Formats: sequence, C-alpha cells, structure tokens
Amino acid sequence: MRWCLAFLLCCFLAAVNALSSSGSRLLVVLDDSTEKSSFSTLWSDLEGRGYDVSFESPKSDKLSLFEHGERAYDHLLILPPKSKGLGPNLTPKHILDFLNKDGNILLALSGKSATSSAISSLLLEADIHLSNDRSAVVIDHFNYDTVSAAEKHDVLLLQRPASLRPDVKAFFDGEGVLALPRVAPQTLGSDSPLIAPVLRAPNTAYAYNPKEEVPAAEDIEATGSQLNIVSAMQARNSARFTVLGSVEALEDKWFSASVKAPGGKKTTTVNREFAKQLTAWTFKETGVLKVGEIKHHLATDGEVALHDLNPKIYRIKNETFFSIEMSEYSYDKWVPFELPAEDELQLEFTMLSPFHRLNLEPTSRTETSTVYSTKFVTPDQHGIFSFRVNYKRPFLTNVEEKHEVTVRHFAHDEYPRSWAISGGWVWIAGLWSVIGGFLAFVVVWLYSAPVADKTKKTQ
Amino acid sequence: MAESSLDVLLKGSSGRNTRGLLRIIILLTIAAAAVSSRLFSVIRFESIIHEFDPWFNFRATKYLVQNGFYSFWDWFDDRTWHPLGRVTGGTLYPGLMVTSGIIYHILRFLTIPVDIRNICVLLAPGFSGLTALAMYFLTCEMSSSPSAGLLAAAFMGITPGYISRSVAGSYDNEAIAIFLLVFTFFLWIKAVKNGSIMWGALTALFYGYMVSAWGGYVFITNLIPLHVFVLICMGRYSTRLYISYTTWYALGTLGSMQIPFVGFLPIRNSDHMSALGIFGLIQLVAFAEFVRGYLPGKQFQKLLTSMVFLVFGLGFAGLILLSVSGVIAPWSGRFYSLWDTGYAKIHIPIIASVSEHQPTAWPAFFFDLNFLIWLFPAGVFICFQKLKDEHVFVIIYAVLSSYFAGVMVRLMLTLTPIVCVAAALALSAILDNFLVLSKPDPEAVAKASSDDSKSFRSSRNAVVGIYSYFSKTVVTCSMSLYLLLFVAHCTWVTSNAYSSPSVVLASKMPDGSQFIIDDYREAYYWLRQNTPDNAKIMSWWDYGYQIGGMADRPTLVDNNTWNNTHIATVGKAMSSREEVSYPILRQHDVDYVLVVFGGLLGYSGDDLNKFLWMVRIAEGIWPDEVNERDYFTSRGEYRVDEEATPTMKNSLMYKMSYYNYNSLFPAGQAVDRVRGVKLPAESPQLNTLEEAFTSENWIIRIYKVKDLDNLGRDHNNAVAFDKGLKRKRATKKKGPRVLRTE
Amino acid sequence: MPAKRHAASTTSASTASTPATLSSGPATLKTNASAAEIAQHVWQQYLATTSQRTMLLDAFMAFLVLVGGLQFLYCVLAGNYPFNAFLSGFCAAVGQFVLTASLRMQTSDKSGPVVSKPSSKGKNARFVDDDDEEQVSGYSHERAFADYIFGSLILHFFCINFIN
Repeated sequence: MRWCLAFLLCCFLAAVNALSSSGSRLLVVLDDSTEKSSFSTLWSDLEGRGYDVSFESPKSDKLSLFEHGERAYDHLLILPPKSKGLGPNLTPKHILDFLNKDGNILLALSGKSATSSAISSLLLEADIHLSNDRSAVVIDHFNYDTVSAAEKHDVLLLQRPASLRPDVKAFFDGEGVLALPRVAPQTLGSDSPLIAPVLRAPNTAYAYNPKEEVPAAEDIEATGSQLNIVSAMQARNSARFTVLGSVEALEDKWFSASVKAPGGKKTTTVNREFAKQLTAWTFKETGVLKVGEIKHHLATDGEVALHDLNPKIYRIKNETFFSIEMSEYSYDKWVPFELPAEDELQLEFTMLSPFHRLNLEPTSRTETSTVYSTKFVTPDQHGIFSFRVNYKRPFLTNVEEKHEVTVRHFAHDEYPRSWAISGGWVWIAGLWSVIGGFLAFVVVWLYSAPVADKTKKTQ
Repeated sequence: MAESSLDVLLKGSSGRNTRGLLRIIILLTIAAAAVSSRLFSVIRFESIIHEFDPWFNFRATKYLVQNGFYSFWDWFDDRTWHPLGRVTGGTLYPGLMVTSGIIYHILRFLTIPVDIRNICVLLAPGFSGLTALAMYFLTCEMSSSPSAGLLAAAFMGITPGYISRSVAGSYDNEAIAIFLLVFTFFLWIKAVKNGSIMWGALTALFYGYMVSAWGGYVFITNLIPLHVFVLICMGRYSTRLYISYTTWYALGTLGSMQIPFVGFLPIRNSDHMSALGIFGLIQLVAFAEFVRGYLPGKQFQKLLTSMVFLVFGLGFAGLILLSVSGVIAPWSGRFYSLWDTGYAKIHIPIIASVSEHQPTAWPAFFFDLNFLIWLFPAGVFICFQKLKDEHVFVIIYAVLSSYFAGVMVRLMLTLTPIVCVAAALALSAILDNFLVLSKPDPEAVAKASSDDSKSFRSSRNAVVGIYSYFSKTVVTCSMSLYLLLFVAHCTWVTSNAYSSPSVVLASKMPDGSQFIIDDYREAYYWLRQNTPDNAKIMSWWDYGYQIGGMADRPTLVDNNTWNNTHIATVGKAMSSREEVSYPILRQHDVDYVLVVFGGLLGYSGDDLNKFLWMVRIAEGIWPDEVNERDYFTSRGEYRVDEEATPTMKNSLMYKMSYYNYNSLFPAGQAVDRVRGVKLPAESPQLNTLEEAFTSENWIIRIYKVKDLDNLGRDHNNAVAFDKGLKRKRATKKKGPRVLRTE
Repeated sequence: MPAKRHAASTTSASTASTPATLSSGPATLKTNASAAEIAQHVWQQYLATTSQRTMLLDAFMAFLVLVGGLQFLYCVLAGNYPFNAFLSGFCAAVGQFVLTASLRMQTSDKSGPVVSKPSSKGKNARFVDDDDEEQVSGYSHERAFADYIFGSLILHFFCINFIN
C-alpha cells in the first residue's frame, strides 16, 4: 500500500516536475554499485529534476532497451564499462535503433582505460572518431590543475564554452571553471551537419597515450581545438547523442573540488552546473522547439473565417499570408522562441526549387509562443507548391514543416471581361453593329417581301 | 404464286413502304450487330475500362459528373505531373466526357440509376451503332443503289479496323469521333448537293462537336477545303459550293474556337491555313463569277484561271513567309512525322516511342479490313466513272487517308470509313448487276443471236448484260462466300485481338482453361490501400493514367505527354545510377517507384523492353549524363545477363527489375523468360530503395524510396551497417587533413 | 493571313460601289481603252438587272464590309489586345457577309438567271443533270431566308459567347 502510494506520489511529482519534454524514464548503464555511489550527487540531481532513474549492469540479462518493439526507456546514460564492450544487449545496432526511435543517449568515456571497439565503431557511424589506439588522453601544459595533476597535466581546467557561432544559441555557457580529468578526446568528421562540438580542448592541448613513450609524428591526428572533450550529435529525428570525454568530471568529488590553474587562484569547480546543462540538453530539457499553429490564407484586412483558413488551393498571383507559432522548452515550461541575433527564420514557397524565400518576422507573442509571419504574392506559375519552414540549427531540434498546396491557373471567369478592357469596346461595337444591322435588314427584308413577290409574279 | 405475292409486296406503293420498313429493320439489325460484337470483352472479362488513355477519360468524366461542368472546365489537376500539375480543363478535348455526362444526367432524369462507369464502358459500342447509321446515310448520298448504303453500314459495323478502337471499355476520344467524322462528311455532302445554308450550318455544328471530341478534326479541316479546291480547279464552281463552304468555314471556325484547348489555333496554326486560303479563294472565284454574269467574253475564262493561280500562289507564299517568320505556329511535331516517317525518330523520341505512331505494317491492312481492301480500288474506280461532286470527295478522301494510314497505325481509323464506302459501292454494283433475276426479253435475245453474225457491234450494245444463271450463281455465291468469310474474320479478330482490356491479361493453361493474370489491378489496389493519399508514385509514363485512375495516387508523368523534360527527368532517374537517381527522387517528392517486369511470366511489354526509349528521351535532354551507347555491349547488343554493361547493371531500372529475382530459382538458375537469358547469380543491391510490393506474377514491382539516413550516413554505409559489416576505420587519407572549422 | 481574306472580301464586295478598281484586273488581258467601258457596262448592267430586294442585300453587304474593314484597320493601327474580342467582332462581320452573299445567290437565282446559269450549266452540263434543277426548284425564297436566319443566329451566338 505504501509502495503504491509512493508510486502515485512519484507519478504526481513526475507530472508536476516532468522536466524533460520527451519523457522521464532514464536508464543508467554502469558496472557495479560501488561505481554508482561515486556519482550519487548526479543521480540525486537527476531524480530531483524528475527523472525516473533505473540502473543496470551491461552484463545483466535483464537489460533491454526495447520492450514489445517499443522503447523501454526515454533516455540512456552509459558510463564506460570496465570490461571490454557493452555486452550482447547493447550492441551498436541496439543503440542506433534506440536513437532512431527518438531515444536520447549520453555516452561517457574515460581516458583511464582503452575504449572498447564496439563503442568506437558506434561513434564511427555518427562520424565521431576516437584516437587510433582508443586510449589517448588530452594533455595540456598550460591549463591543468596544479592540485591534482601537477605531474601528469591530465586534469584540464577550462571555462565553460560560449556559443558556437554568433547565430547559435548558447546552452552551456556561464561563469566558473570546469575540471576535466583524463579526457578521451574525439575528433569530428568534417562534413556531417548533424554533429557539433560542445566543449573543445584549448589550443595548447594535444592527445597523448600515456602507455606509449613518444608519439610518432605521423600518428598525431589532431591537436588543439580540433580535439573535442564533449561533442554532440543530433540525428534527423532530433534524437540526441552526446559524448562526454571524461566520466570522472561527473563524479561527486569533482563536483565541488577546489582546483588551481598554473599561475591562478584556487577556485571551486562548476562541474555540477555543467553536468546539469549537459544532461538537460541531452535529455531534451533545453533546446527543444515546438511548432504550434501554422496558418496560411489569402491576405485580407479583417478576420479570416474558419473555412478560409489553410485552404488546399490557391490561385496564381494571390496575395497570401503565412504564420507559424514557435515555442521553446526551457527546463520545465514552454516559452516563446526567440531567434538568436543574426539568425532568421525563413519561409520557402517551393516547387522543385524555391520561388520565394522570405524572412519570417515575429508579429505577436503569447505566453508560451512567438508567432512569426509574412505576406507574399504567389508566383505566376501553377503547380503543387509547398510552404516550407526548414530551420535546423546546432543544439536546437530540427524544424521541418512542409505543407503542400496547389496553385491553380486563372479560372475561365477570372480573366477580365472584354467590356472591362477599353481596347475591346471597338470590337464589341463592331459585333453589335453587325447584329443590329442584321436585325434591321431582316425587318426591311420582310417588309419588302410581298412587293418583291408581286414583281416577280408580274414578271 | 409465291413470286406473285412477293411482287405485291415489293412493287407499287405498298412495296415502297415494305421496303422502307425492311430497310429500317435491316439497319437496326446492323446497329445491333455492331454493338453486340463489341461486347466480347465485357462478357469475357467484366465491365472494365481498358488500356491507358481511357482511364484518364474515365477519371475526367467522374470529375465532371461529380463537380459539374464549370469546375470541370476550370479543373486544375494536382494529381498528375507532380509537381507541375496539369491545367486539365484547358488541355483536353471535352467532347467525350461531356457526352457521357449528358447521357448520365438524362438517364438520371429518367430515373434510371446507372453507374457512370457503365456508361463509359458502353459508350463506344453505342456510338458505333450510330456510326453504322451515319455510314448508311453517307453512302446513300453516293449511290442511287439502296444496297450500297446497307452494305456500307454493315461493313462499318463490323470491320476490325474500327472495332479496334471501339470495343466496350475502350472509352477513348475515337469512340465518338468516328461517328462525328462520318456524320460531318454526310452533312457536308448533303450541303454541297443542296447548296443550302442550313446543311452548311449543320455541318459546322457537327464539325464543332468533332473539334471538341478529337484532335483528328484537323483531317476534316483539311479535307473539305481540298475537296473544294479540286472542284474549283476542275471548273466546277457553283453557288452551291460557295454557300456550303463559306457557311461551313465561317461558322465552323468560330465554333471550333469556343473549345478552350483549340482556342486561337484555327487562325494561328499552319494546319488550319489551307481552309482559310480556300475561303479567300472562293470569295475571289465567286466575285469573278459575279462579274462574269455581266461580262460575256472569251477572255474572261483566261482571266479567271490566271487570277485563281495568282492568288493561290500569293497565299501560299504568304503562308510560308508567315510560318518562317514565326507569326503562325509551326506545324506540330506529330504532323511532321506524317510526312517524313523518319522525322520523329531523329527529333522527337517521345513521339516515336508510342507504338500507335509507328508506320503501319502491311499485313495490318488485311488484318483490319480483310477483303474490303481488295474492293476498295474497285469502288474508287466506280467513283471515277460517275465523278459527281461527292464522288470527287470520295476519291480525295481515299487517296489522302490511304497515305496517312500507311504512315501511322492509329490513322487506320480514318481510312476505315472510306474503305467501307468504296467497297460497298463496288460490291453493290456487282450485286446489282448479278442478282437481278429478270431475264432479258427473249425476243431481243433471239434477235441478237440471229443478228450476231451480221451486225456485231450494234446488237452487242442492245443486249449487253449478264443473263446466264450459271455466271450469276457463281458470282453471287462467291460474293456471299467472301461476305461470310469477312464476317467470320471480323468476329475472330474482334474476339481474339481487340477484346483484351490489357489491364487484365488472359492466358491459356496447358489444359486449355483460361488463366486470368490480374497483376495490374492487384498492384494498383495495393497502392490505393497501403499508401498515404498523396504518396507520389513514379513510373514510366505509360502507367500514369492507370495509376491515377485505379490507384488514385499522384503521378509524375502520364500518357498526356505534353512535357518532354519532365518525362526525360523520369527517364534519367530510371536509367542512372542510384547515387544520381536518389536526389532526383527526393527533389520530386517521390514516395514509391513502380516498374513493370515481365521476366517471370514472359510478358514482353515490360519496362526493360521500353528501357531504351527512356534512355533515348533522357539523352535528348542530358546528352552529357546519359548515353545510349553505354547500355549496349561492345558488340552492340542489348543484354541483361552476365555480359551486360556496368552502366546497364547499375541503372535503377535494371536493379529494380531483377532485385531478389534469383530467390525464385535454385542458385545460379535465374532465367528471364522474356529476353530468354540466364541472369547473374547475384541479385543487384538496392540501397536507396526498399521493396514494398511485388505482385503475384511479378509483373508489377513497387519500391519505396527511403528517407535520408537518420544519422546522416550514405545509404551505402547505412545498408552495410545494418548487414553487420564492420565499417572500416577511416584509413589514413592522403593529403592534408580537412579541419573542422565550426 | 487575315489581310488576304480582307482583301478578298473588300474586292468582292466593292462591286456595288466601285467596280472600276476591279476591272483593272482584266485590263492586263484586254486593251486599256476598253477597261473603263467594261466597268461602265458592268455597272449599268447591274443597275438595270438587279431587283430592288437584291439591291437591299448588296447595301447590307456593303455595310458589313465597311464594319469589317474599319475593325481590321483599327486592329492594324491600335493592336489586337483582347484578341478574342477582335476575332469575334471581325469574324461576325465576315461571317455575316458570306451568309448574306449566300442568301443573295439563292434568292437572285431566278431574278437574275444570268448570274448562275452559265456558271453551273456552261461547263459541267454533263455532270449536273437533275441535281441542279432540284436545287433551283427546291429552294424557295422563304426556305433560303429561314436558312439564313438559322445560320446567322448560330453565328451570333458563337460570337457573343466568344467575345465574353
């Protein structure tokens, strides 16, 4: 009974406090309970934010990401296993299937031991590359923690990252120093638009395998900011996959450790803050966009009647109005979506290629959403067009709206009538004079008929 | 006694009535025979629309019936030619749909609940009955013999050349157009004979109806002026000619311009210019005649002829000038291919690719017309003997249409009516001469025989004729035999060659029982029931109308081949590698790709056999990317087996046709029964498409276009990963590393 | 091409008013001196033989030529922007003209037998035997006029429909 009550309470809590926009079932895959205790602050933070955290060992037989073909969990947090690989229930294929079914994954790596080849090949599918021997760590002789790694220089001290580009929202910024011990570095493929670096190594960093003595010059794949400490991939279905290079950064002891950079002051780390940001983003508490109502109709001055809204068919050269309502999820509520500076939300009116590409302007705002809208004239080309809003930015879920409408030609009675064109009057007059002449002729003819007959008879 | 009672019946005023009644009964019987011989397909299969184009007409008719005439007129069809759409209301000949719409509403008004489909299926047979009647009238104008009309009607009713386009279910423009053609010609002859405005106006009205029904109206537009021109050249100008022609032209041209699809063509297009030229000419001639009435004189004749030739020459020169300078639209491509059979093959592969536009094979004439083709010249010869105005018409018509029928298979249809007329004239002449039972006056015969030795020539004239019962019997019997053979032939051809709906195929099992192959409908209904309402289907254009009609899904291209580029795009997608095709498919929002594959069943009309046309049409637009030569082996063979060229093997069409085909056979034994070759042991790999449906006999295969990979990988890699292949680590690249700048 | 037709119609219709322009054609065949005479002769013949009713027809035809000519002139000068309007206006005039001409031929057959008889009978007497008589006898003026009305109404309907 009490259990039941507790469950109900939990549900209730989850309901009011369901922070993620996509569910609260979180599975943590970790080796054993001793390990579990060293991350206790993280767990309690997560549970405090409403997650329903369950733990499984990768070797466990019970571990299954799917139940009856559906996802059994909404999110997955994988800590690096001590043994080789993640076992038969967490093959790369399973994990990809999980992603394809909109599950989010936070994968933590560690520089302490070599990463398993299964994980490496999984990352390869997402075009995220590990170092050749999978056991390098990032070393920086300028930004290390003098307290804990005075010798090895493998605990990095970094500022939290600012926004990636001026037109991209920053989700991981803030004051304070992060401590990142023994980072397994990742490099990103150069042409995938789906992956983005969250936290990059400083320019002075390089990857080094402590087991080898001196790295051969040609083995160095990347240095400096080409090395990523945290990288993220957002699949086309907006499922998120984050790779964190240093699992230790999430441990209790680093959440509030005091560190000291060379030549700096002693400070406390903001790892806990950063962990919150990172898990919040990965598990879709931030950076989630929602499209509300989409309206399009003929541009009119007054209100639009319901049956005129979102018509299936337009005519060429119609003036058309389009609006889209956008909200963004911020930890526990939907707020109006604001465009970053230097970015634009665009509408395309497309048939094979865009005939119009217009910036949508924010016109009104509700409590939870912003309405962007624009007006334009449909092109002089009939066909099947679509209104498309294709807004894909790093760290924001993909918005791809496509609404097909038909643009038809002028109907037979929509051309100007002849009498409306002044040039046609001449010919209208001509036609009617012919008809008038005809009628007059007929009358005269009939009138003269008997006479003619008589004359003929007389002839 | 019997003879005398017959005499009572057949002679005098009651005899005329009896004959009239008999004639009506015979005509009705002929019409009934014409209708019923076209019902083979309904009886054998079911009441179903046939082939390709009729499916569109059927769909359009349904639209008309549901939405009314005005919205049909303004119909913008967004379910064909995706994403261009088609201004259907303005680009079709509405006569057929409007006719069946009117019939439908009349029947509804009479509270006869009938499905529009049945009207569409039975429209063609119904109109063929009317055609037989119109034929009777036309031939009666040609000959005074009553049997000619009846014979012509009977021929028209059952000749395979016409049946080929008018069996039940072939709901096409020709179904009503031939009736209109014959009837317009009848009215025209009537107008020329009577010289009355009314007949001329009626001709114009039916001409207008014809224009609204079939693009072949151009045939009338040119034949009538030619007739008039020849008559004028023969010095046979008369007021009757003037009245009928000018009335027809003035009203007919205005009438034809009321059809949206035709619009201003009659004064813009070269096809119509001859009519206009003759119109001007006849004005001049009329005026000249008018002046002549006041001006007797020998010079006048000279003046007249010189004026005629001068004006005609000037008009012709002006026409050429205007055509060259582009004021008048140049001749349409189909028209060019009428004159130069090689033209289409070189310049417009899309026209050449249609089997209907191929030149006619010689056996086809005999196949379609049987012994009429032998009687045809005889009939034309008889016309030469009489050579009245209407006989001139027959001769011109015969000459022109025999040429056209030789150039294009589908124009056999316009030849058929005149063959029936001419053959009926010839046959009725034979029968009239041989079937009359009366003997010549015995005295005259005796006299003739006695005089034979003396005055050979004069007596010969007096008693010439066929009087011997023997020769009469022989000729009559042989003619009847020919007629019977003709009927047998027609029935056989109709039931075997022209009654297959081609949507449903029939074949014989080894034990002789019939085996129905219904793959088309199976696949189309699969599409209808398993795909979203606006899933775009790509297929070669042959199947566009059927998909639109039966599956009710948007298509990229269809049988209305107005946009060569769009068709070439589909051709390119079919004939290129997957990497090239996939972006095209994505750009056009294609959801499913449909191919027809006959390899399992030996069905030879499949897409691989049409494949070279796709390549050619695509090459016409993208000569750099598609090259026909690449699909042939180095020895110039078109092969699909192990020896096929890499381009061939990598083309989407090849892959879609043979994907997984070898799983039907023991390893290494896969055989293509159409092309009769053994296939490679390994099935082709498809990365960007996945098989969605394959019909029972593998005739139709439908593939779904995959979405982009969720993780942004190549489809190649994604498929390889799903198969469990380890992806190789990015090997050391040569050259400098590409840095990620973001 | 309309120019040609127009030329044809004006020439054929200008009989009533100025036959001189036309007889310049025969001038090439004949001697120059007789051209004017012929014109004179024709004109006088015309005045002498034509019945009043036919004159009325000719007047109407002249009026139609005038209307058609003016429209064509305007089209050449000012362009043919609503092309359908131009076509229907012009075609109405031309169509009405030919219909009237047909009516004239049918009705003046008897009154002026000189006009049609030689043309039809002169050369083709061999072919035209019973038909021609049938035509002459079978067409009363009333019938011809009814036909004419029928044709004209169709013409007007098309034109009004087409001018939109």
